Amino acid sequence: MPYYPETRVVKGLARIVRERRLPAHAIPRPTAIPSGMAIEAVQTVLQGDVLRDYRILDVAAYFNTRDTERAAGWIEVSEGERVTEGQTLAQRGKGRRARTLNAPASGVIARVDGPRLILQVSEQSIELLAKIPGETTITEPHAVQIAGIGALIQCMWGNGGYAFATLRPLPEDGFAGLSKLDVRISEYRNVAVLSPEPLTKGDLLVAQQQALAGVIAPSMPSELREFALGLPFPVLLTEGFGQRRPTELIYRLLQSNMGRQAALDAAIPDPWSANRPEIMIPLPSGGTLPSTPALHDPLAIGTRVRLTRAPWNELTGEVIELPETPQLVESGLRALAARVRVEDGRIAVIPLANLEMLG
Amino acid sequence: MAFEHVTSVLVADVGNVHTRLLLIDLVEGQYRLVAATRARSTAAPPLARATLGLEDAAQRMTNQIGRTLISNDPDDLFLMPEIDGHGVDEFLATASAGRPMRVLLVGLTPEISLASGLRALAGSYVTITDVLTPDDMRGEEAQINAIVQGEPDLIVIVGGTDEGAELLVLDLVERVRDALALIARGRVPAVLFAGNQRLRERVKRLLEPLTDVFTAKNVRPAHNSEQLFPAQIELALVYDDYRSKSASGFADVGRHSQVGVVPTPQGYISTVRYLNTLPRRRGAAGPLIVDVGSANSVIVAGLRGEPAYTIRTDLGVGHHFLSALEEVTPQRVSEWLPFEIAPDDLWDYAHNKTLRPGTIPGTPEELQIEQALAREVIRTLVSGARQGWRIAPDEQTPSFDPIIGAGAILTEAPSPGISAMLLLDALQPEGVTELALDRSNLLSAAGVIAYLKPLITVQVLENSGLLPLGTAFSASGQARYGRAAMHVQVQPESGPTINHTVKCGELWLAPVPPGVAARVTVRMLSGLKIGGKRRIRQRVVAGAAGIIFDARGRPLSLPRPRDRAARLQQWWDAMSAQDAPAVSAPAEQTPSAAQHPEESAHAVLS
Repeated sequence: MPYYPETRVVKGLARIVRERRLPAHAIPRPTAIPSGMAIEAVQTVLQGDVLRDYRILDVAAYFNTRDTERAAGWIEVSEGERVTEGQTLAQRGKGRRARTLNAPASGVIARVDGPRLILQVSEQSIELLAKIPGETTITEPHAVQIAGIGALIQCMWGNGGYAFATLRPLPEDGFAGLSKLDVRISEYRNVAVLSPEPLTKGDLLVAQQQALAGVIAPSMPSELREFALGLPFPVLLTEGFGQRRPTELIYRLLQSNMGRQAALDAAIPDPWSANRPEIMIPLPSGGTLPSTPALHDPLAIGTRVRLTRAPWNELTGEVIELPETPQLVESGLRALAARVRVEDGRIAVIPLANLEMLG
Repeated sequence: MAFEHVTSVLVADVGNVHTRLLLIDLVEGQYRLVAATRARSTAAPPLARATLGLEDAAQRMTNQIGRTLISNDPDDLFLMPEIDGHGVDEFLATASAGRPMRVLLVGLTPEISLASGLRALAGSYVTITDVLTPDDMRGEEAQINAIVQGEPDLIVIVGGTDEGAELLVLDLVERVRDALALIARGRVPAVLFAGNQRLRERVKRLLEPLTDVFTAKNVRPAHNSEQLFPAQIELALVYDDYRSKSASGFADVGRHSQVGVVPTPQGYISTVRYLNTLPRRRGAAGPLIVDVGSANSVIVAGLRGEPAYTIRTDLGVGHHFLSALEEVTPQRVSEWLPFEIAPDDLWDYAHNKTLRPGTIPGTPEELQIEQALAREVIRTLVSGARQGWRIAPDEQTPSFDPIIGAGAILTEAPSPGISAMLLLDALQPEGVTELALDRSNLLSAAGVIAYLKPLITVQVLENSGLLPLGTAFSASGQARYGRAAMHVQVQPESGPTINHTVKCGELWLAPVPPGVAARVTVRMLSGLKIGGKRRIRQRVVAGAAGIIFDARGRPLSLPRPRDRAARLQQWWDAMSAQDAPAVSAPAEQTPSAAQHPEESAHAVLS
């Protein structure tokens, strides 16, 4: 019987395909990005305007007339037209005696209804970065798909930030040592650091003060969540909240890529969305095109898995048996479970629900 | 196939964590639950294919009973109709998975049409984004912005009795139309109109060019009458439409189900409507179903002949562990734990559980944390539901009977006794109550089937696909801990009589094997009562947990911190006793009988 566990990708080399998409309510701006184009991580691939508030402008009332038909005739813009702040929308009279109704803000004329104009105000322009280096495979007005090659580590939590920066390990004395450096000449300025220890608020303050590009750590107390959300650089947690140690497999993979550039996409996790916080480290393919991570494979004997709950969390192992019937597990519950040979050689009976595949 | 010719029905419930599948078939002329399986749900990203989990559950069922269910034809999900003992005649689906629908409610008066509108919506997985009324102090511009920026999935318009207001309702409809006309990009919300029926066609004419318009009978046809059922049915159709458009594979599930994908609580409501018609124990209110899920929690009560229900889309023990903890507070959760835990550690646990909502506790301590939260979630549900039950804050909770628990945290406890204890702790029933578990989502399934062939519902519930936990005898009042509280005599149909004294503050399971009928006599001591009486005699059938005696008094006072670990462990041990060969408090066995007890009929489920 196929069982499809959660998959959180930890892969040394893979073909990574990501889609960047403008919000549905944004108006895309034309960009000159064709399909098949090489893209840098920090390159803008989509631009658009996000429209928000509607403003109702009553031309008849503005010109103080009850003749709505006449007022409608003074309107000089049409539906769908972009206007800029101060632009004339309607004009009564000509020459020096003319009076005008000007756009109170830039936006788009959403509707012209008799003497009424509805202007949808531009709230902001948005630019979407590629976030991973690679090649565009699909380009549409609202969306671009990029494929790149490299290592991929999906994390448990991110603070919403993004950076493309060089990875470095922390100095031996950790953030304490970092705090003693002169930020103007520090070799850590604008680099992303990997901490093997859970973060403290002091660590995050040092990271901010030292102008780091990003921080990767196994965990931090959940009380720091709000603080971390306000930081200007990405914070990525590979394990979650609390005082959790790093999964050795992940730590080794990150360690082996120190000195390389990495895309730190600290997306805030959302259970209803496919977006996950992740680290992508661009790597040469070595001549053969690696496969994309397997997200739709069922669990099988021999599958490498990550154990996600106490007392086995932060460990990985290999499935050696998949019993058909529910098993008694350490919590006292009976659940469908797998026998897993943990990396240290022990064998554990782990509920299937507490296993993650690594892609 | 016309439903009257159907003999076998497969019903799926796609939850956020589990996909449950059950098969009902005709056995010796009666409809029965013949198999039930469960698999991990696969509706959420990155899989986003609800059918994968469904096929997994179906394959498990095939392995269990040797009946092929999955079709080889890629266009069909299941082999239908049934041929030579393989396949099924019909497939139906309910779901609770995914983000709740965002709903903007539009109506005339808060106490009348809007109140009815809210009650109709309370049976679906929705989040109310805003409410628009003629008394709204916001200007036209602000109202339109509120409608558009709230990004609702559905706009529900109620208001006006069938002989009542028209112009005010039409003004609101025009405001909705103006807003919908402005949504040039993104998804345009559907509209459900359940107001003044004389306006139905005009509302359709105004709004149909802009979006999908669903209509239902007025939720408030007159000031003094309310009809929610038609609007709820229509809401179920809207829900199906909404789920089908989401990227989680529900379109495939709904396409094969004769009723589309119905919200799980709609099935509960329909079932409670049926259970309400059955004879019940004297003095008891109707049935109570409580379902604690990963993202949503539901309570449906049968009161005064009508179902009363509350759905909380922000309370759960998985996806919404964090928001549930925020509401119930770490302090209240800690009171149920036999070990010390710092609030910060509990918050860390909540955040981690929310990040991995489908995981299950890895240690006994983690299990106790989740069970503690589940108890408080239920207490919060009850507290919120009391207004709907029209009982005063200081008034005693009605004596619901039976009480049925659903959701894995309740149904998959380490033993039936622990499941029973969770229900007793959270709901604190008084008197005599039948406790049961719905492990396979039978109640919701039976409720949905009732729309099409009520005979199946009746027979399946009578042939009980539920797991009876047992009858609970719960003492009212307070007495000093350790004093004698209940003198119990249990006379099983076969075997020796059991006499036992339950002390104040204790729980006890009479060790009677499941399915064995027994005459139970309880004499209350130390000023405690049971159902307002000092003595009671009742014939019961032991459930999976045995027969349950709760002498902790009501309201249940939780132990002081210094006694907490020992007392909670004692309760746990007592309620796990049925599993263990040695019962912690050995029963004294004598043939004597109690004096002048009262006897009443045994409950429906036992």
